[in-house]
Amino acid sequence: MSELRRDPIGGRWVIVDTDKPSTPKDYDFEPQIYRNEVCPFCYGNEAMTPPEIDAVRETPTYPNTPGWQVRVVANKFPALQIEGDLDRRGTGMYDMSNGVGAHEVIVETPYHNKDIHELTNQEIENFLSVYCRRSLDLAKDKRFKYIMIFKNFGAPAGASLEHPHTQLIALPMIPKNVAEEIKGAHSYFEYRERCLFCDIIRQESQEKERVVLENRHFISFCPFVSRFPFEIWIMPKNHSAHFCAISAEEIKSLASILKETITKLKNIFPNLSYNYIIHTSPINGDGGSEGYHWHIEFMPKLTRVAGFEWGSGFYVVATPPELAADYLKKA
Amino acid sequence: MPELRKDPVIGRWVIIATERAKRPDQFGVQPQEPSEKVCPFCEGHESQTPPEIYSIRQKNTPKNAPGWDLRVVPSISPFLRIEGELDRRGKGVYDLMNGVGAHEIIIETNQHIANMSDLSEEQISKVFACYIDRINDLEKDKRFKYALLFKNYSWAAGAGAIKHSRSQLIATPVTPKRVKEELVGARQYYDYHERCVFCDLIRQELEDKSRVVLDIDGYVAITPFASRFPFEVWVLPKKHACDFTTLDPASRLSLAAVMKKVLAKLKKGLNDPAYNYVLHTAPFRRQKAGYWKSIDQDYHWHIEIMPRLTRVAGFEWGTGFYICPLPPENAAKFLREVEA
Repeated sequence: MSELRRDPIGGRWVIVDTDKPSTPKDYDFEPQIYRNEVCPFCYGNEAMTPPEIDAVRETPTYPNTPGWQVRVVANKFPALQIEGDLDRRGTGMYDMSNGVGAHEVIVETPYHNKDIHELTNQEIENFLSVYCRRSLDLAKDKRFKYIMIFKNFGAPAGASLEHPHTQLIALPMIPKNVAEEIKGAHSYFEYRERCLFCDIIRQESQEKERVVLENRHFISFCPFVSRFPFEIWIMPKNHSAHFCAISAEEIKSLASILKETITKLKNIFPNLSYNYIIHTSPINGDGGSEGYHWHIEFMPKLTRVAGFEWGSGFYVVATPPELAADYLKKA
Repeated sequence: MPELRKDPVIGRWVIIATERAKRPDQFGVQPQEPSEKVCPFCEGHESQTPPEIYSIRQKNTPKNAPGWDLRVVPSISPFLRIEGELDRRGKGVYDLMNGVGAHEIIIETNQHIANMSDLSEEQISKVFACYIDRINDLEKDKRFKYALLFKNYSWAAGAGAIKHSRSQLIATPVTPKRVKEELVGARQYYDYHERCVFCDLIRQELEDKSRVVLDIDGYVAITPFASRFPFEVWVLPKKHACDFTTLDPASRLSLAAVMKKVLAKLKKGLNDPAYNYVLHTAPFRRQKAGYWKSIDQDYHWHIEIMPRLTRVAGFEWGTGFYICPLPPENAAKFLREVEA
């Protein structure tokens, strides 16, 4: 008998196949293959991108020249534009607004062919610190309500450029899934006066069967209500609503758990594409962030999403998270 | 300037990225498909599927033998199983229950035809009649709250390697979240306006015309104002009805003609793209099931077709936030002009 599991945060149900669980070799996923093409994110091609907004340069070199370790530029094809006022209006029965926002690209490393697990801890810390710095800077703009940091790695996961990069989008409103998540966490908090995510961490570290890794500040585990096979959440053990409140010491811990987690995944699935998203509290307004707990949701791209998921919002997971965690622990 | 648009029913925002807009002919990247295996859905291969639940077949032909026009079988790899009790229970902060449900495959033709657009209107109309019969039958099982009908066409849309036109039906013991959101959105609009949100939407689209793809025979096909995907198309009946299963034979045939046209336009204009479609219809309305009285007035069944031209990143899944790289007005214009 398969199981239906309900996500305690947003109330979403997933179907977990506990009957005939899929093993890693059952996944016929599209591999990430590097092409040889002129890359705007490589050293020497700085002029191919919009001017840089921020960079990490260990030895001083000029902006928009080689010598950087991390580089932030505006997205050349932005989904949203930084100039202009938010102009919410109706057109007949519909609501709309100008697409005001920021859309930045954080080039994580000068290495074209290196995924996160192939970088040094210091290199990972560098780009994580830049995530944080850009968030703090954009939060000063009162038009923005939410800052979303996400990474698409590999063409199958939606990356149009193969050089490793992260995207940052500052939005004038709170995205629907984020709002639902915050609402769910808030109503749990109202009822129990405890953070739901802290309770989840407590239960996961006790039960252990879904935990992949744990260090001083972070835990990585396959969530009980995984939507995707081998989905992994990385959560800070100390309660904190905002990612950008992370300490320098926590960044070190995060870099190390991120590197080790991805190393394990890639040991099982070489050439895997993936997405991750930093889930954090809204900014500049009533975020109701008391019961919220920032974390990273990591989604390997192993399956194709089909009509059932679209229509129902139900997800079907062929490898139970307990089993996925077991594979990862041994990897 | 890109635009942010809000879906009037469920309140989802999408970014219509006019700045990074692509031309319609710039879509259509399809991943490499695996090679095809022997098709278990063709006539003569009946023993390769589980025993049939339903069929439209010639008189005096036995079950699970050739002579059928349309056939329904349980899924070989079902997401949910028909036997057993739900047994709802808790586990610390988590809730769970047994995976009880029904998962059926509707084999739409005995011929090895891949795309529904290549079936005759009469055959498509039979497919819809079968949808109605199967949904009505599953409604009798009190454990189920909803029957979701959908189609995955081609590998990129999750159809696996077999290229034989089919739909799937999954009955679930809870009302799916996405369905509930739509029902609640429609009710809220009705509570405020005392009008059906979909009827209002149809009225505005027909006046505006810029997003109308087809308007024939009691049905309208539009690219929705807050499209999530390029060339997303909704097909709605102009006459208000909340429940697909109340469709009479004449309007079933009209719907078949409209669906065939829309799917043929997508096939011809976009080089036979993968797509999903989902039937959005009212849930089972048993007495004391907890549904509101106005559902007959406030909800409006329709079909949502989603071509899979862009790769949906986990980003969209994770956030519920979609970036559509083609304004729906351009998509509608392009589809209107495709001769099919």
